[in-house]
Amino acid sequence: MKIEMMMGCAALAGLMTLANTADAQERVSRASPRAAAYDANHEVVVQGTVLEYLENSTLPPIGTHVKVQTSSGTVDVHLGPSSYLHDSHFSFASGDSVRFVGAMSSVDKRPVLLARIAQKGSQAIAIRSTQGFLLATGATRSLSEKQRAQASQKVTPR
Amino acid sequence: MNTQAKRLYLLLALIPLLFLAAACGGGSAPLPPPPPPAKFSNASLAGQYAFSMTGSELCAGVGSLFTRAGSFTADGHGNITTGLEDINVCTGTATLQFTGGKYSIDGDGRGTLQLTNSTGTTNYSIVLSSTTSGLVAQTDVNVTASGSFQRQNPAAFLNAAIAGGYVFDFLGVDVNGSTVSPASYVGRFDSDGRGGVTNGLFDSNIGGTPSGQQLFPGGAFCQLDTNGAGTTFGRGTANIAGQSFAFYVVDASRLKFNGIGFPSALVGDAFAQQNIAFTAASITGGFAFLIGGSSPSGAISTAGRFTADGAGSLSSVVLDENNSGTITLLPNGTVTGMYTVDDNQFGGGSVTWTDTKSGTFSFVFYLISSSQAVFQEIDSAIISDGTFSAQTTTPISSTALAGDYVLGWNGAGSAEEDYVGQASLSSSGGLTGMTDFNQFSTGRQFFNVLLNGNLSLGGDGTQANDFTANLQTNPAATFHFTTYVVNQNTLFLVGVDTDRVIAGPLVRQP
Repeated sequence: MKIEMMMGCAALAGLMTLANTADAQERVSRASPRAAAYDANHEVVVQGTVLEYLENSTLPPIGTHVKVQTSSGTVDVHLGPSSYLHDSHFSFASGDSVRFVGAMSSVDKRPVLLARIAQKGSQAIAIRSTQGFLLATGATRSLSEKQRAQASQKVTPR
Repeated sequence: MNTQAKRLYLLLALIPLLFLAAACGGGSAPLPPPPPPAKFSNASLAGQYAFSMTGSELCAGVGSLFTRAGSFTADGHGNITTGLEDINVCTGTATLQFTGGKYSIDGDGRGTLQLTNSTGTTNYSIVLSSTTSGLVAQTDVNVTASGSFQRQNPAAFLNAAIAGGYVFDFLGVDVNGSTVSPASYVGRFDSDGRGGVTNGLFDSNIGGTPSGQQLFPGGAFCQLDTNGAGTTFGRGTANIAGQSFAFYVVDASRLKFNGIGFPSALVGDAFAQQNIAFTAASITGGFAFLIGGSSPSGAISTAGRFTADGAGSLSSVVLDENNSGTITLLPNGTVTGMYTVDDNQFGGGSVTWTDTKSGTFSFVFYLISSSQAVFQEIDSAIISDGTFSAQTTTPISSTALAGDYVLGWNGAGSAEEDYVGQASLSSSGGLTGMTDFNQFSTGRQFFNVLLNGNLSLGGDGTQANDFTANLQTNPAATFHFTTYVVNQNTLFLVGVDTDRVIAGPLVRQP
């Protein structure tokens, strides 16, 4: 997501006459930051059976959630925008045997698995980057040359 | 809003009927007042305009971020006569010439724009905040985007005209091999008026890893094209913060950049920096801010305000953060804050505040002036940037805020959403207007949607204010916002609903 700024007219530029030259500034170190939302160093594997598949869950994070029954209980798995799954022809149904790789996060004080990889049978799809960011609008930026050439055959007006 | 959306032809058809019904009411009823005179027409869009925008396109069957910036020429009679744009799409970058196009401006400043190049015609809804600037949303079925445009001053299409300090803010994605990461760059540089760049400083946040302040790597420049595109369209190329860009000159005070370092993609603006030695005293008083970007949960947007004492301390910190439906409000516990301005006096600095219950929020900024800055969050795993602006010191009231505004909201629900529209605020806080929006899928392009709502000011108006917008779609949709008033001309809005992240400004029309 981006925010388009409506900045007012900045002061007219004059030649910068500051005596200083630019040196990178070492700034005050941060105090204890908010907890990381995706801890790539502590990824887990969640394996089980789909209890419920919700394309637009009312619980955050916004997007698709899968409730998975595992041997140790139920896990809420977040998969991001449903449009990405649709476009990738990937879906789940109750009873599916599934496997997810991701990181547990606390969302509104509830444990949620932020899935990086989703797998159903022989099908797998990358949901997040290794840093934990949703690939929904960026995945095709890393297409191979061959894939890019195929995509360029079907472009819409620019 | 999971309806099977159509282009609301029915609603469009009803609008004149409603007016007709009012005019033909019972004989004893007083005649309604005449509509206000039209403030805008096709003649309001005349001359050369630079634009930039970013959004989502369908590529290889899935959504993909893209960026564009360029220049179009409107003849004041509904025709686009020429222009040029640089695009960065999933298949690469290109510079495309506009061979034609059309536009239409209604009396309220809303309108449509079509731009034609060798690949076809792209369609936009636009709204004029004045005859020199406006907001734009792309409304094609498989492409949505939002951005802004400003009238260009061709007298500034010279290297010598873009001399001095500039502060920039670029947002997009960084691609390193197969790793795609959200990315933000903020910083400043001096343009020497001959295409050279000195004193370049920046902070990047790529994939949630802040760089700390860095010097520009070697090879920085910012130079107008010498092949005719420079003098005709104000186009140039640049290397800023180690990234390659095409740019378009608005005037000496503003440049619009589009990244051409494919497959990475960045877009943003640079603003002329006030020529002073910045210190902590440069930041004094109340400031409102609005930022947006990504977190591992999804889209994130934050709006708020703080008071700076001119000596490094912050107070009265209030904010609303919507992190993919998780709402954080400050103050939650007790908030303490501080800020620094860099010793080199180039206007960079840092802001940190800690809420005893919600944790620490950290940012960097670069001052454009003592009343405005670009603002980047640097907390772990959050890539979000935007602006902070000095809040007015004159009393804020519903009466003072009454008038006409343009809106440009960007958000994400089940997919990207881009809104442009126009609305009027009454002296009692009531809102009425109309908007177009694109929800990035087949059949989810909405036009001329009636909008109403209410702004409810709290306290003296400088803090968090409630704002509700009702969209007369079928079924109707209600957005709840928190609004931070910058001044009588600009309000920052952030959505606080749990089913979408949405944010943007209301900007007064003349």
